[in-house]
Amino acid sequence: MATITTKLPQVNRSRFLDQSRMSITVFFRALRRNRAGMIGFIGLVIYAVWILIAPAFVPFDDNVRLDQIAAPPGSRLVLITRTEDAERFRTLSDLNGQTVGVIDNSSGEAMVEPYLDQGAFEVETERFSSGRGIPDLLESLAEGDVNAVIVFSEAVRQYLGADQRAEFANLTVSNAELGAPHLLGTDTQGRDIFSHIINGGTTLIVTALIAGLLSTLIAVTVGSLAALSGGVVDNVLTAAANLVLTIPSFPLLIVLASLIRLDNSLLLAFLISMLAWPVLMRAVRSQVLSLRERDYVEAALALDLGLVHVILREILPNMMSFVAINFIFAVTRAMYDQVGLIFLGMVPINDYTWGVMLYFGRTRGTLFSPDSASMVLSPIVAIALFQVSMVLFARSLEEMFDPRLRTAK
Amino acid sequence: MATETPVLQPIKVTTPASPNLFQLFRQLTKNYVVRVMVQAIITIWAVITFTFFLIRLMPGNPVDVYVDFLMNQQSMTYDEAYSRAAQQFAFDPDANPITQYVGYMGQLVRGDLGESITSPGTKVIDQILRFLPWTIFSVSWGLLSSFTLGAFLGTIMAYKRNTPIDQVLSFAASLFSAVPNYIWGLMIIIIFGVQLNWFSVGTLRGTYDTGLTPGFNAEFLLSVLTHALLPVLVYVLGSVGGWMLNMRNSTISTLGEDYVNVARARGLTSGRILFAYVARNAALPMFTLLAINIGFIIGGSVIIEELFVYKGIGSFLFWSISQRDYTSMQGVFLIITTSVVVSNVLADLLYSRLDPRVRIGAEK
Repeated sequence: MATITTKLPQVNRSRFLDQSRMSITVFFRALRRNRAGMIGFIGLVIYAVWILIAPAFVPFDDNVRLDQIAAPPGSRLVLITRTEDAERFRTLSDLNGQTVGVIDNSSGEAMVEPYLDQGAFEVETERFSSGRGIPDLLESLAEGDVNAVIVFSEAVRQYLGADQRAEFANLTVSNAELGAPHLLGTDTQGRDIFSHIINGGTTLIVTALIAGLLSTLIAVTVGSLAALSGGVVDNVLTAAANLVLTIPSFPLLIVLASLIRLDNSLLLAFLISMLAWPVLMRAVRSQVLSLRERDYVEAALALDLGLVHVILREILPNMMSFVAINFIFAVTRAMYDQVGLIFLGMVPINDYTWGVMLYFGRTRGTLFSPDSASMVLSPIVAIALFQVSMVLFARSLEEMFDPRLRTAK
Repeated sequence: MATETPVLQPIKVTTPASPNLFQLFRQLTKNYVVRVMVQAIITIWAVITFTFFLIRLMPGNPVDVYVDFLMNQQSMTYDEAYSRAAQQFAFDPDANPITQYVGYMGQLVRGDLGESITSPGTKVIDQILRFLPWTIFSVSWGLLSSFTLGAFLGTIMAYKRNTPIDQVLSFAASLFSAVPNYIWGLMIIIIFGVQLNWFSVGTLRGTYDTGLTPGFNAEFLLSVLTHALLPVLVYVLGSVGGWMLNMRNSTISTLGEDYVNVARARGLTSGRILFAYVARNAALPMFTLLAINIGFIIGGSVIIEELFVYKGIGSFLFWSISQRDYTSMQGVFLIITTSVVVSNVLADLLYSRLDPRVRIGAEK
C-alpha cells in the first residue's frame, strides 16, 4: 500500500495565528482556569481604578510638617495629658475651655487646626523649631501651663519612654485615636506617603502606556511593511531594526537625557519607543511573512486591494492577540526605562511620582535608614506589583492563544 | 498496487570555475562569519557617527556649551576656547565638519578617545581601561550563572510540567522577569542590608576592600568576589526568569520530537536521553537570546553599579554625565556599545558552532 503523503507547503505555521478572534465570554472562561492570569488581571483592574479614581479621594499631601519627619507606618496625632487628668480628657470635646498646646508647622499654622475647629477652644500655640519644640511643649504641660498637648505620636515617642526625663514621667498618652493615621508613614518632610503613593502612579503608567502604544504602532507598521514589500525595503528596514536592537538602549537614553531636556512625558515616551520597537518589529515581520502565504491574504494581494487594506483588514486582525501580548511587554519595558531614568535623576522633576520617591530615597539617604524604609519600600512595591500584574496577564494570554503552552489536563 | 518509481533528479554538475575576484567577493558575503563581522562593524560605525553629530553639531551641543563656559569662566577668547575644546574632544578645529569627522574616526581607530573635560590631561581611554574590566567580570559572572540556573530549572519545569513544582516555578519565573533588576537591588539593600543587618551595605561598596593592593593573593580575590556578589545576585534575579520560561518551553517542544521517542524506544537511560538528546537541543534557541540579554544587562549595569557603588563602566558613565564630562561620556558610550556588539558577535559565532544549520542556512 503506497502511502500518499500530501506535501503541505512549508509554511512557518505560527503559534498565534488564526486564534486571535475570541469572544469575551470565552476569554473570561479561559482566564478563570488560569490562576496566575486571574491574579494579573485583578491586579490590573485594581491599578486602573487606582490611577483613575483614587487620586480624587486622596489629595496629594504637600504640607511640610517638621515634627513628623520620616515616621513609620501607622503614626498619628495623639492627645497627651498629665496622668492625673488622663481620665478627664479622653476626647476633643472634653477639652472645651482648656488650654491646649499644639505645634506649628513650617508655614506657621497649627497643624491640628482642622480638629480644633469643631469646639470653642482656647489654644496656646508654641513655636517649634525642628527638634526643640516638642520637649518645650511637654515641659509646659508638666509644669501646668497647658492642660493637654496634641502632638504627633512618633515625634513624642522618644520623650515618653520609661528611661526618659523624670519630669515627663507624669505624662500619659490619653487618646491614641486622634485623627487619621499615616497608613504608610511620612517622608523626610513629614508629608503623608500614602497620598504620594495614591497620586504618584498616574503619570508613570500613562507615560508607559503611551510609549508601549507608540513602539507597538511603529513595530507593526514597519514590520508588516518590510514583510509585504520584500526586496530592498525589507533588507533596509530589517537592517535598521538590527542596528537599533544592538545599541544598548538604556545607556543611550541616559546620554540623550543629558543632552535633551526631557521635561515633557510625551517626549520621554517617544524616545523610549524609538529605542524599543525593533524587538517587536522582527517578530511582527516573521508573523506577517507566514500570514502572507495564507489564501485570503494572497487573494487580497491578487485583487490589488492596496497595502493599507491588506495590513489593516486581512493581516492585523489575525495577529491581534500577538500584538496585544507584545504591547503589554512593551509597556513593562517602558516602565523599566522610565523609572530607571528618574531613579538616576536624569529627568526633570515635574511630578511627584513613584520614581521620584525612589530618587529622593537614594539621594536623601533614607534608603540606608532603618526607620524610613517605608518611603522607599512603598513605591518599590507599587512599581513591582504593577509590573508583575502586567507580566502575569500577558503570560496567561500567551498560554490561552498558544496551544503548545496550554496546560493539558 | 502502484509502486512509485523514484524520479531521478538530474544532478547539477558544477564545474569548478577558475576563481576570480568577483566570485571570491560573493563567497565572502555569503560566509556567515564575515556577514556577522560586517554587521558588527557597520553598527559600531553608525553609533560613532550618531554620537559625533549629536555632540558636535546639534544646536546647544556640548562643544558649544564648553566653549561658552571657557570664555565666560576663564576669560579666554573664542579662538583659544575653541582650540582647547577641540583638543579635549579630539578633533581638528581648523577643518570643516566632514574633515573633523574623518579625523575623529582616524583618532578612534588609534584608540584615542580624547581627554577628560573635568580632569584635563587624563586620557579617557585610560579611565575606561580602569573601569571596564570590573563590569566585564561582574556582568559575565551574572550572565553565566543566570543562564546555567535558568536552563537547569527550566528543564526541571518541563519534565515536571503541569505539576505543582512547575506551577510554582513558573509563577516565580514570571515574578523574577517582571520586577526590574534595580528594584531587586533596592529590596536587597533595604530588607537584608538595612532591616535585617545580614551584611553591611557600607563595607560592600567599591570593587574590593579599600587598603588592599591588587594582586594574585587569596585575600584580594576573596574581597573581589564578595564585592561583586550583590550586583551579580541582582543580575541573576533580573534575568533568570526569562531563561527559565524559555528553557521550559523549548524543552517541552524538544520532548515531543521523534528522535527523543526513538531514544526512549531504544531503551537508553533517562539521564542519557536528557543530556545527549533533550538538553542539548533545547538549549540551542537560548543562545539566540543571549545577544539581547547581554545588551540588556550591560545597559542596566548603569543603575545597578550606581546603586551598589560598584566602580565599573556603568557607574563611570553616570559619573561623567552628572559631571557634564562630555568627552568621557562619549567615549564610555562608544565602549559600552562596542562591548555589546562584540559580545553579540561572540554569541552569534558560538551559536553557529553549536548549530551548523545557521551557517549553512546563511550560505544557501
